[in-house]
Amino acid sequence: MGPPSIATLDPLAELMSQIAAGDRSAMRRLYDATSAKLFGVCLRILSDKDESEDVLQEVYLTIWRRADRYEAERASVMAWISTIARNRAIDRLRARGPLAYAEPVDELQIEDEAPRAEALLEASQDGQALARCLDELDARTQGAIRTAFFEGLTYEALARRLDAPLGTVKSWIRRGLLKLRGCLER
Amino acid sequence: MSDIGPELPDDEALAAEHALGVLTAQERAAAEQRMARDPVFAAEVLAWRARLAPLAEEIAPVAAPAGLWPRIERMLAANDNSQGVRRRLRFWRAATLGSLAVTAASLAAVVFLAARPPEVITQPRPPMGPMMNARLMSDGGQPLFLAAYDPERKSILVASLVPPGADPDHSHELWLIPADGKPRSLGLIDPGASKAMPMSEPMAEMTTEGVSLAVSVEPRGGSRQEGPSGPLAAVGKLARL
Repeated sequence: MGPPSIATLDPLAELMSQIAAGDRSAMRRLYDATSAKLFGVCLRILSDKDESEDVLQEVYLTIWRRADRYEAERASVMAWISTIARNRAIDRLRARGPLAYAEPVDELQIEDEAPRAEALLEASQDGQALARCLDELDARTQGAIRTAFFEGLTYEALARRLDAPLGTVKSWIRRGLLKLRGCLER
Repeated sequence: MSDIGPELPDDEALAAEHALGVLTAQERAAAEQRMARDPVFAAEVLAWRARLAPLAEEIAPVAAPAGLWPRIERMLAANDNSQGVRRRLRFWRAATLGSLAVTAASLAAVVFLAARPPEVITQPRPPMGPMMNARLMSDGGQPLFLAAYDPERKSILVASLVPPGADPDHSHELWLIPADGKPRSLGLIDPGASKAMPMSEPMAEMTTEGVSLAVSVEPRGGSRQEGPSGPLAAVGKLARL
């Protein structure tokens, strides 16, 4: 017997088919279950509450229109909608310019890049595998990949942030991602 | 150390970089276009998104602002029929050319290049009847056209957010889809242009709240059949201001 499909494990998967059929109460339940997470994702990239709220509104309207595109065998609902939120937030960040990055805002209490112990305990199996593989990279490469992911920086902004030449930062990330893929496939 | 050792091959590197989010706006747009025409590349991007997605589990949730849900809820109605419109319009597409299908997808991507933020069109005169407007979104949720109905002049004002000069081999045709579901052409709109499209009296009468507007990608000069012949680049619904 194969492992249970994501659909049977994912409490949100059923909501997606209801949303695809136009069920607004299902949309409300999805919003209640996920909006804090997605707002966190947007804030992390944009560090601006108003812009994050705008982006979040677009994200849920996109989910509403595109729910029929969700494929349970590819990703969990949370992973799928988090990716939409990240992409929209990065697009918004890019509209500020190629070197733009969010200035950390104290009142938002953004945490640093180190994985939180409690987050790791709550992490999915995939999350634990990814954390283990990231830990196999040297600290500098891991830091660069994490910063790129969490803050949505371009290579150029990342190079400035890390105070390293652009080509060097690209190499770190490309080598790091190759190792990461190898580790995840083991 | 990571200063030596192999790197990802170029194509997969691009896919991974797009998933990680380190590309510039222009590179992101190019990657999105490539995803639309290159299924292998698209699969690489999706695989990398899946590999990296668990990192988001580490991001702490922050309660969303209290007023946001009511705003989203109000907008659900204005957005809920685009799939229905797409389905109905498929009927009007006698033949879809592969090159046109790619064009519709890449239009969405190319809009990232346009720096103009999507703003509601400012009305030139005070309204007589109900002023209505619509954002016409791509399949991926990107606004590509803005439209406003001016009941006094019986015309639709439309602004294309597609960068000027994009897609010179095709024309973009605006359609009104009233309650009977049959598309009526309003005319062609050049990329980046804004124009007023006058309507006949019967067409103006059909232009009521909730009717759909759509833009299709057509051969130069517009569709040669009764309805749209090419794929839809964007769809939206007229709502009162």
